[in-house]
Amino acid sequence: MERLFWLSLLPLVLLVGLLALPLLSIFLRVLPHDGIWETVQQPIVTEALRLSFLTSLSSTLFALLCGTPVAYLLARSRFRGAALLDTLIDLPMVLPPTVAGVALLMTFGRRGILGTWLDVVGVHISFTPVAVILAQSFVSAPFYIRAARAGFQSVDQDLERVAYTLGHSPLRTFFQVTIPLAFPALLSGAVMAWARALGEFGATIMFAGNLMGRTQTMPLAIYAAMESDLTAALVLSAMLIVVSFSVLFGVRLLLHRSPYGAYA
Amino acid sequence: MVPMLEVTLQKRLDGFMLDVAFIAANELVVLFGPSGAGKSLTLQAIAGTIHPDAGRIVIDNQIVYDSEQHLDLPPQVRRVGYVPQHYALFPHLTAAANIGFGLAHLSRAEREQRVQDMVTLFDLQGLTHRRPRELSGGQQQRVALARALAVRPRLLLLDEPFAALDLALRESLREELAQVQARTGITVVMVTHDLTDAFALGHRILVYEAGRVIQHGTREEVFFHPATRHVAELVGTRNILPAVVERSDGVTLWMRWQGHQIAVLAHALTPGTLVELCIRPTQILIVRPDRLAERERVNLLSGTLVREQMHGETYLLSLRVDGSPAASDLEIALPAYVYHRLALDTDKRVTVELRQQALHVMGGKDGGQGTGDRGQ
Repeated sequence: MERLFWLSLLPLVLLVGLLALPLLSIFLRVLPHDGIWETVQQPIVTEALRLSFLTSLSSTLFALLCGTPVAYLLARSRFRGAALLDTLIDLPMVLPPTVAGVALLMTFGRRGILGTWLDVVGVHISFTPVAVILAQSFVSAPFYIRAARAGFQSVDQDLERVAYTLGHSPLRTFFQVTIPLAFPALLSGAVMAWARALGEFGATIMFAGNLMGRTQTMPLAIYAAMESDLTAALVLSAMLIVVSFSVLFGVRLLLHRSPYGAYA
Repeated sequence: MVPMLEVTLQKRLDGFMLDVAFIAANELVVLFGPSGAGKSLTLQAIAGTIHPDAGRIVIDNQIVYDSEQHLDLPPQVRRVGYVPQHYALFPHLTAAANIGFGLAHLSRAEREQRVQDMVTLFDLQGLTHRRPRELSGGQQQRVALARALAVRPRLLLLDEPFAALDLALRESLREELAQVQARTGITVVMVTHDLTDAFALGHRILVYEAGRVIQHGTREEVFFHPATRHVAELVGTRNILPAVVERSDGVTLWMRWQGHQIAVLAHALTPGTLVELCIRPTQILIVRPDRLAERERVNLLSGTLVREQMHGETYLLSLRVDGSPAASDLEIALPAYVYHRLALDTDKRVTVELRQQALHVMGGKDGGQGTGDRGQ
């Protein structure tokens, strides 16, 4: 046991160094800086914060509303094409976000297969906040669906059967038995999806562009600020790190204390 | 007898066909057989959580499933208490909330009263605020039974209710279940692959094998008069002797087994028929040499004890009958005190008697006795 500990020490130091040092370096550059507060109040920062907050929550909500029934379907029923649907849902997780961006442009762009028709009725999606939400949903929803499917699968179907024999309709059973028991998985899936949406860059810049106050989310603002105002880039980066870390860590603590977490 | 439950059902699954029929009335019916024989599927079909391909299920004179009428009532309206394997208690709810789960249609006061009644009936006082994982196996089972009975079902379906419990607990809970059944008079269909559970509780027993009921009868019929060699093996019969019918005089039927003549009570079997005789290890008598002439004895066989195993209060002995191969060794079970009084030991020579009343004949043209299809 002790030997194993010493043997794993070097890889541990390497790994933690690789992960933590770059993050630490941002704070080491930001903290001694004068005028952080002024930087935070710059429009490039405040607008990016506002936009990131709104779009990432919207795309997470979208993933919850559309992903939950799909995840339940995938977890519970055997049907033709389930494997195909499964793969399709996993695909955005491995594709480069730029491919997602191109794909979305070809669909909703002014000359895209849907965009042409939307153009006729006067709806323009690309280069709007809606495009940001679409791009984020495209890349982040799979994180939620995967977690939710695993969560639903871990709920013993006998529990649902018993609920039916006790007079509960399938919908009522879903909300009173299945959702509460899958909740830890649903919550961590939603948080993963939200974190992925918050960090979305490639698909957004391709499909929605980089317009301050309109489509420029925090990652895009960092990219833009690197050329003009390094301090703003550093401040935004530090904020993203703090927010992401707190939320991930918070959810972990919460699930650990959950009274029935052991069953999820 | 007014049947509370009538079941005829067929269901095809990959490489497996469930095809069974039975009825039950205010009694405890056991579906007994190896795992994978279709017992749990039968329960689920009655509960309505799977859909058969064909058949008819009637509960308390209400047709809940009929393939000809394209009728298939959902489980919500069948009013059947269903306790699956491992009880399926809702882990996120307290014992009280589990018991009251099916009572949402009642007023708060009625619901609380009903839960309280169940808590009293199953002796769960002081445990109502615990969650399932804070309850012992026996307590979990009682909560599951209480939850199922709280809705006043017309029928109770239990899937392997004792599988997760240790031996001592099993016995007391068997007793408790028998009492609940007797007190409420509710029809219970219980699935088990455990021989002791089946015979301790079942008023009637259906023996399942590969999706079919291969014997249906009272527990005595199934236990002492298995219809086929297969049932005999499933109910733990150890001595199954292939024999040939030789002759009959109307009172006694003579057979030949391993060169020995065996007399059994008369059967409608013609000479030359191949049959299987069976006798339970506890029914073979060891005859003391000084008592050989005490009365007229039949079916005396002599041999050597070749093996012995002690099972607590019981000794299991293997008798190599003179002139028979090892594969035909007879198994004898006897209480430890008899073993000691007779001063038995391995390599000792003994004579045994196979009493006619204890010998059961299976197979032959008439399909053997005791098929017990009275319920059909």
